[in-house]
Amino acid sequence: MTLRTASGTSASGASPTARRAVAVNRDRAVRIRRRLRAADLMVMLCWVSVALSVSLWLAYGGAAQVTDVASALTAGGIVSGLVGTDLILVMLVLAARLPVIDRVVGQDAAMALHRRLGKPALYLILVHGVLLTIGYALTDGSSVIAETISLFSGPDMALAYLGLALLIAVVVTSLVAVRRRFSYEAWHLVHLLSYAAVLVALPHQLSVGGVLADGTLQRVYWIGLYVLAFGSIALFRFILPTLASLRHGIRVAGIEPVAPGVVSLHLKGRQLDRLRVEGGQYAVWRFWTGSTWWHAHPISFSAVPTATSARITVRELGAGSAALGRVRVGTRVWFEGPYGVFTDAHRVAPKMAVVAAGIGITPIRSLLEHASLQPGEATVLLRATDPSQTYLWNEVAGLPSMSGNSVYTMLGARPHGLATWMSAEAIARGVTIASAFPELLSSDLYVCGPQSWADLVVRDARAHGLPDAQIHIERFDW
Amino acid sequence: MRVRALAASILSSAAVLAVGWQLGGQGQVQVAPDAAAPAASAATTAAPQAPSAAASTPTAAAPTAATPTAAATAPVAAAPTASGTFTGSVSRTRYGNVQVQITVANGSITDVTALQLTNDGGKSVSISNRAAPVLRTEVLKAQSANVQSVSGATYTSEGYLSSLQSALDQAGL
Repeated sequence: MTLRTASGTSASGASPTARRAVAVNRDRAVRIRRRLRAADLMVMLCWVSVALSVSLWLAYGGAAQVTDVASALTAGGIVSGLVGTDLILVMLVLAARLPVIDRVVGQDAAMALHRRLGKPALYLILVHGVLLTIGYALTDGSSVIAETISLFSGPDMALAYLGLALLIAVVVTSLVAVRRRFSYEAWHLVHLLSYAAVLVALPHQLSVGGVLADGTLQRVYWIGLYVLAFGSIALFRFILPTLASLRHGIRVAGIEPVAPGVVSLHLKGRQLDRLRVEGGQYAVWRFWTGSTWWHAHPISFSAVPTATSARITVRELGAGSAALGRVRVGTRVWFEGPYGVFTDAHRVAPKMAVVAAGIGITPIRSLLEHASLQPGEATVLLRATDPSQTYLWNEVAGLPSMSGNSVYTMLGARPHGLATWMSAEAIARGVTIASAFPELLSSDLYVCGPQSWADLVVRDARAHGLPDAQIHIERFDW
Repeated sequence: MRVRALAASILSSAAVLAVGWQLGGQGQVQVAPDAAAPAASAATTAAPQAPSAAASTPTAAAPTAATPTAAATAPVAAAPTASGTFTGSVSRTRYGNVQVQITVANGSITDVTALQLTNDGGKSVSISNRAAPVLRTEVLKAQSANVQSVSGATYTSEGYLSSLQSALDQAGL
């Protein structure tokens, strides 16, 4: 470890500073309370939507119709179809990148929930089909196969079976083992079919069965739910990003090689300050060249944008991001964003502990640039295997907010056969997360780097007793 | 804080379910007493049924053989005219057979159960499932087979109402 800058002007009885710190902490506490309340409300809304879909059936008088095995199976089928579809619509809302969801819990957490709901939703829809077929077959006294054939004969029902087939295709290709065999783009294309699956299932929901019959409040609510889900996707994934891209007219202004395989893309555009990008955030970028336009890349801002310029820094990993190093000056750039909760606004503790590895430096660099830090407030540890990976390190130490704050560096490979995020040399000297960050427990820990490495940092922090609310992690390797 | 989210979720979901249950239960209020007592001679059922029994007596009295009884009991109002369950004849429609059963207490229809509904093909099953509760509610409200057929379920409605009429005839309503 080398000490880079440590001009320790420790707040020795500086009363204006102390008063300001109190005010900052009070603001922070208010923001945390508000955010937690909003997060709780969102969790509640998810559950209420599930309860509501059961309630639609209850209000229809469904419970009174359960008299024997056949009607119980039919009822189970109806309810599982309602709940399953509700969950899929919730998944769509989560994937719509609603600004309020991103601000409160972060798009990462929303997508984690989106992924967790996928399989239960599919199972419910499958159960819906199976139970209704058996239930109807029992009522009619026919075989399951005959019932399936007779169910299929309705025009809306053929669409419903198509929707089911699409849904199975989407979930199967999303399973990790299968997904590895597909390219991201192929998987994503299949994934878009889920929109079609939910849409083609709608006619049979409205025409078959009584719960959502014509002229009922249930029908109004259900259609409203569809409009909300698809409206959010259309608005926040397509319409607003397109308008913002056109309005800000971003183009590539320059390409600056940072290190072998790492480039900074300098962008220029109109009124970029109006985007209100916070340090540590990212956007999803689309470069309009023949070979890159079909692929959107999530890339962090490596500097806080000014009114006319922005900078992103990217390491060439996949075939798509390798092509980014070859885009020409003047290339038109579209974007979605900014997104992310890896920001100063999401701090909960009075101090800041920051660890970055490799290209993980990019959001850290803009985070530290944007944060208004007091001397002694932050401790930064930059980590790389060898000197070729010390991207932007020289910039970090020079940031105005870093004056009076310590930046440490840790170079060297990890020891063989030991699961650690530190270098062999640091381990040999007995460095721990607690010795690197003496004030860890009163700090927010910001971690950005390769996922397996970041997981080890978080593991150590948790073992040291740091609560999850104080751990901020940005997981990506590009 | 996650405890609060959990508690809020449970409470609000329970409230939503309770409201749904309540709304669903309202359509079934009439069912409750007759389901418990198909014989329907208890005083508890007679009391709420009294106004409707009185109202239906004049129309019911005219075409049937029960006229003397109805005339005799009309002033008393709470006395029973016809009670019990009556099964209508089977109506054949191009989508299958329809047959209904009615439960009558003190001269008023308290429930209509579909014994058979049009079931040729999944579409007609679904149409029937949609139409039957609507028809049932309408019949209970009108206390006769004089109700509009459900749009999009014409055959089911016609079969339903004709089977119902034969059940009403048997009950002497």
